[in-house]
Amino acid sequence: MKRKAFLIDTTLCTACRSCQVSCKQWNKLDAEATVNRGSYENPPDLTPQLYNQIHFIEQDQNNDMRWLFINRRCMHCADAGCVKVCPSAGALYHTKEGLVAYNQDKCIECHYCVNGCPFDVPRYDAKKKVTKCHACIDRVQNGLTPACVKGCPTGTLQFGDRDRLISDAKAAGKKLYGENDLGGLGVMYVLDDEPGTYRLPKNPAIPASIFFWKDVVKPLGILGFWGAIGVAALHYVTVGPKRIEDTDDDQHSKGGE
Amino acid sequence: MGNYVDRFNTTDRILHWVVAISFFLLLLSGLGLFAHTFFNYFSLFGNPQQGIMVHKWAGIVFFIFSILLFLRHAAETCRFDADDRRWIVKVGGYLSRKRQEIPQGKFNAGQKLFGIFSGVATLVMGATGLIIWDPTAYLRELTQFALMLHGLFFTLFMVGMVVHIYLATVGNPGTLEGMLWGRVTKGWARKHASKWYQKVVKG
Repeated sequence: MKRKAFLIDTTLCTACRSCQVSCKQWNKLDAEATVNRGSYENPPDLTPQLYNQIHFIEQDQNNDMRWLFINRRCMHCADAGCVKVCPSAGALYHTKEGLVAYNQDKCIECHYCVNGCPFDVPRYDAKKKVTKCHACIDRVQNGLTPACVKGCPTGTLQFGDRDRLISDAKAAGKKLYGENDLGGLGVMYVLDDEPGTYRLPKNPAIPASIFFWKDVVKPLGILGFWGAIGVAALHYVTVGPKRIEDTDDDQHSKGGE
Repeated sequence: MGNYVDRFNTTDRILHWVVAISFFLLLLSGLGLFAHTFFNYFSLFGNPQQGIMVHKWAGIVFFIFSILLFLRHAAETCRFDADDRRWIVKVGGYLSRKRQEIPQGKFNAGQKLFGIFSGVATLVMGATGLIIWDPTAYLRELTQFALMLHGLFFTLFMVGMVVHIYLATVGNPGTLEGMLWGRVTKGWARKHASKWYQKVVKG
């Protein structure tokens, strides 16, 4: 199966939020009360009931409003921090299309994925289970596009074979964010400014301490356990135990008290 | 008592075994969080959520009793003299069959080092464990670092424990009895802790 991906061309986005609403409808996510913060952005962040969100960048440039919009969501990394840290195999997993889906029945509520993600995406719902964009895997595996893509009226969101999306974008002279990071992201962006402006890391990577924990400490731990047992066994059959010899007790009878 | 000399009183032994039991509870309930390979250990506790619960509460018990155990012997374990330094240089004579006489106090230098390491590791495991108790309550970077340190000190603690158990059982016959029934033979005391034995004999 060819790897599937999203391509999000932020230059085409009008912030209509059809993607947010389509996602909520398809995934039967409840509405949440929000407050007016003096911004058009609403809600202000991903929540357990909001798998993708239009982030508004509202800048004052010489009394002129500069408006940029970006659809935030799970990035479906090939080298995914959440999958890496999850102790329960199958709770978070890569589908055969290369997307990161999850099975709440296997989630053990450890919250590790929330910390393992380089993009701060996974959320925990009221049942204390992981939630995030799963690329409408139920739709994709039945030949449909994800709900957000279906709902997008401007062509900002595209979904399809990852290689095709990349070659088409390059043929059109567009620069992509996320083509090679973390084994290639499953969500690539065409941006109108630096990644930092969109609150995206310039060079996204799995956090160093998470890498050290899973790729260094964990194998060393397993090696250390068997190594220590091996060394102990080797010591026992080569040098041998420190037995208390007869002379130890002889001393006692000679020395008296 | 004849051939025996008292080494650990009832309080020493109870503290030690509460620490030991909670350590193994922590080990068994934590392995499933350490690597996929060990995920099935959670079935010992019913399900993973209950395993995590046991891990948290056993952690509190371990922390309190391990610190108490450390403080109880801190005066002995934190003092090193020339004999201790000789012991460390010769790794206690464990690398050779040749009999070596390095007079030691109640605890040999290796036991002292392990005692100090246990105290430090208990503090690190406790502090990082408290952060991971609710992993979304703190700054992401702090929790990520805590997860890494918790794993690192678990690894060190476990290797130290394998060595500790080997040396206290089959590696040095007669040692375990001191922790089980509180007494060791005079021969053991002369061989392993001669300076301590002299003090005991002199009263």
